[in-house]
Amino acid sequence: MNWSLIFANAIYASLSYSTAAFALVAIGLNLHAGHTGLLNFGQAGFAAVGAYAMAIPISNYDWPWWLALLLVIGGSCALAVIVGITTLRLRSDYLAIVTIATAEIIRLVLSSVRFTWLTGGTDGKKGFSGFIGDLNPWPEDRQYRVWAQTISGHHLFMLLAGWTLAIIFSILIFLLMRSPWGRVLRSIREDEDAARSLGKNVFMFKMQSLMLGGVIGGFGGVILAAGKRSAQPSEYGTTLTFFAFTIVILGGIAREKGPLIGAIIFWFLLQFVDNILEQATRRDKVPEWLVDSNNFGQVKFIVAGFALAALVVFRPQGLFGDKREQAFDAR
Amino acid sequence: MVGANAFSPGAESTTTEGPHPPHEREPTGASRAAFVLTRARCFALMLLAIVGMLLFGAASPAGASTPPPDSAERFAGSVVNRTTDDDGNRESVPVEGVRIEAIGEDGTVVGEATTDAEGRYVLGLPGPGTYTLRLDVDSLPEGVAPEEGVPTERIVQVLPNQEKVGSFFLGADTRDVKSRLSLLPQTLANGVKLSFIVAICAIGLSLIYGTTGLSNFAHGDIVTLGAMVAWLVNIKGGWHILIAAPFGIAASALAGAAMERGLWRPLRGRRASLTSMMIVSIGISLGVRYIYQFYFGARSKPFREYAVQREVDLGPFSLTPRAMTIMAICLVALLATSYFLLRTRTGKAVRAVADNPALASATGINSDHIILIVWVLGGALAGLGGVLYGLEVRVQWSMGFTLLLLLFAAITVGGLGRPFGALVGAFVVGMFVELWTWVFPSVVELKTVGALLALIVVLLVRPQGILGKRERIG
Repeated sequence: MNWSLIFANAIYASLSYSTAAFALVAIGLNLHAGHTGLLNFGQAGFAAVGAYAMAIPISNYDWPWWLALLLVIGGSCALAVIVGITTLRLRSDYLAIVTIATAEIIRLVLSSVRFTWLTGGTDGKKGFSGFIGDLNPWPEDRQYRVWAQTISGHHLFMLLAGWTLAIIFSILIFLLMRSPWGRVLRSIREDEDAARSLGKNVFMFKMQSLMLGGVIGGFGGVILAAGKRSAQPSEYGTTLTFFAFTIVILGGIAREKGPLIGAIIFWFLLQFVDNILEQATRRDKVPEWLVDSNNFGQVKFIVAGFALAALVVFRPQGLFGDKREQAFDAR
Repeated sequence: MVGANAFSPGAESTTTEGPHPPHEREPTGASRAAFVLTRARCFALMLLAIVGMLLFGAASPAGASTPPPDSAERFAGSVVNRTTDDDGNRESVPVEGVRIEAIGEDGTVVGEATTDAEGRYVLGLPGPGTYTLRLDVDSLPEGVAPEEGVPTERIVQVLPNQEKVGSFFLGADTRDVKSRLSLLPQTLANGVKLSFIVAICAIGLSLIYGTTGLSNFAHGDIVTLGAMVAWLVNIKGGWHILIAAPFGIAASALAGAAMERGLWRPLRGRRASLTSMMIVSIGISLGVRYIYQFYFGARSKPFREYAVQREVDLGPFSLTPRAMTIMAICLVALLATSYFLLRTRTGKAVRAVADNPALASATGINSDHIILIVWVLGGALAGLGGVLYGLEVRVQWSMGFTLLLLLFAAITVGGLGRPFGALVGAFVVGMFVELWTWVFPSVVELKTVGALLALIVVLLVRPQGILGKRERIG
């Protein structure tokens, strides 16, 4: 077993642009669930809106990239408004169900045959990422050697762009949560009625949190789509949301560095497990009836799912979290 | 077990506290907020309506600017309808006003044209390449339909400076032209069938929610478990489905009991909050689903018996004997469950715990025992639903998860925590899903969207659901 290759692959995966995209989605989710106590199970919908709000205007209507990014922000805010008006005054269970439903509606509409003229259907949208080549200081196809890995100029740029955005947003949220606005959010998470009794417009604060977290999630979708050079609806299903939740909980709820570290560790572990199994099944180190070379790919999802459950049961504060700060716990 | 403390305090408590439940004592300062919210609700409904109209009223866009017909590359042709008149003479009649569109390689419409009075059109193209030439079937006039088996679109390679001929020959619509209205009974029959299946799965989910407050995201996977175990016994074991089905039901019931005893009861004892339990159920659902895919594979596989059947014509609609049997079995199961809930002592205890756990505990009902019964019953019904659903749509690793959204929609629409609400909600959701295919035949694949939109509208208008009580909403 080539352990150095396994480790190198895992490290590479954990620092790639897609991990940064997941980190962005998780940062938005952390603001919703961790800081405000909103159980937004439709974060994948925000990511999808972000990705397609960038892809469709650029490839269908030749918009400039910066205008499309403005639409990303606008679209995410609009979705937050639609979701929020329906559910923000109801109990958290309702928000969870409606957000899942909204994300599924978005995914179904995006993959439907009827709207293929707009969305590309199940094949998704391609041909919008040309602008990255213009912005990229490195030539797109040149391969660069970074330690043991080769990486294309495109992926290198996306990696840096993604992590820069993630760090900027983390700092933004760090500053916001130490402002009066952030303190009100925290009080809403702990006891909504108390905040309301002090005269705070709880609905508006929750809505603002939903919008900001949604915009960050949208940028996560943008990085994911731009890096892959395509936007496909199957990428933005419930699995994305549940992985984001795992990342948030793993890193530590309501901790700004939580989503960043959590994303890195999460993808490191998944890629690690995947690589081990791939090598093991290829070299027949594992009995055939247990895992074979066709279905080892599902093991990482099995691990991820049960890891989420185990985390919530045994260590709900994750790595860096504070038990007192949690919106939920299994004390 | 202590009653109210087992559930997290505050807004999530389902017990009513005191003579003045907080939500009814609206502080006056919030009345302005309440007014804003009512306006906001109307605004949101309007927004939804406008979005809906825009999405579904619009035909294909002319967003892509159409190249002029005198460009170097183009399609030209005619649309002709070949009819047979009463004397048996065939004649060709040009069809006016038919839309023809050219679709580029990336899926965007690059040009369109409409046939003139002679049935001819010229469609300019932006350049040479491979295009899909498509006839817009919706733009055909009444009584004109494409010939059976002849596709209405074709992929054509256009060379530089080439004018490609693209004509369409249509047969007369000699099929029994069904008016939209005459399709309605079939749609309703399909809706009833789906509603029954959703209902027996949703009752368990609703009872679990009512008695423990848990939104069990793993319920769909209990449904799948029933189908898969039955499939294993049926296909691998070689037993007839009628013998395999009880195995599936038993497996789901056992899984429910195991989860309750092994996971939920310890968590309740540790005072875990409902949210964390819900997330645990999500994690389990994720892991279990991929275990299913791991062992079962990604494709859907049918049972050995009753897989292919002819529909029986029952007048305004037709159903397979399998569908009729499924509905009959569901009806019996629903009646049995209702009898259990309404007439037996244990059933009444179940309803009591679902209604008000603290009060039920105070009257001496052993809540833990009742909750175990609920999980076993809910699991068994889910397993039965899984087997029946698998008979209809074949067994697949994700079948329960696709159903889960409908289940949640059903219990929310009907009223969270009310078992008969789950029945009502299941019928609303099932009918909505099938009626969607009748109202929007061009977007049939979005029929789940119909149910989800119904859920959102109900939450806007009557958040506690059809049969729900107001205290439960927050």
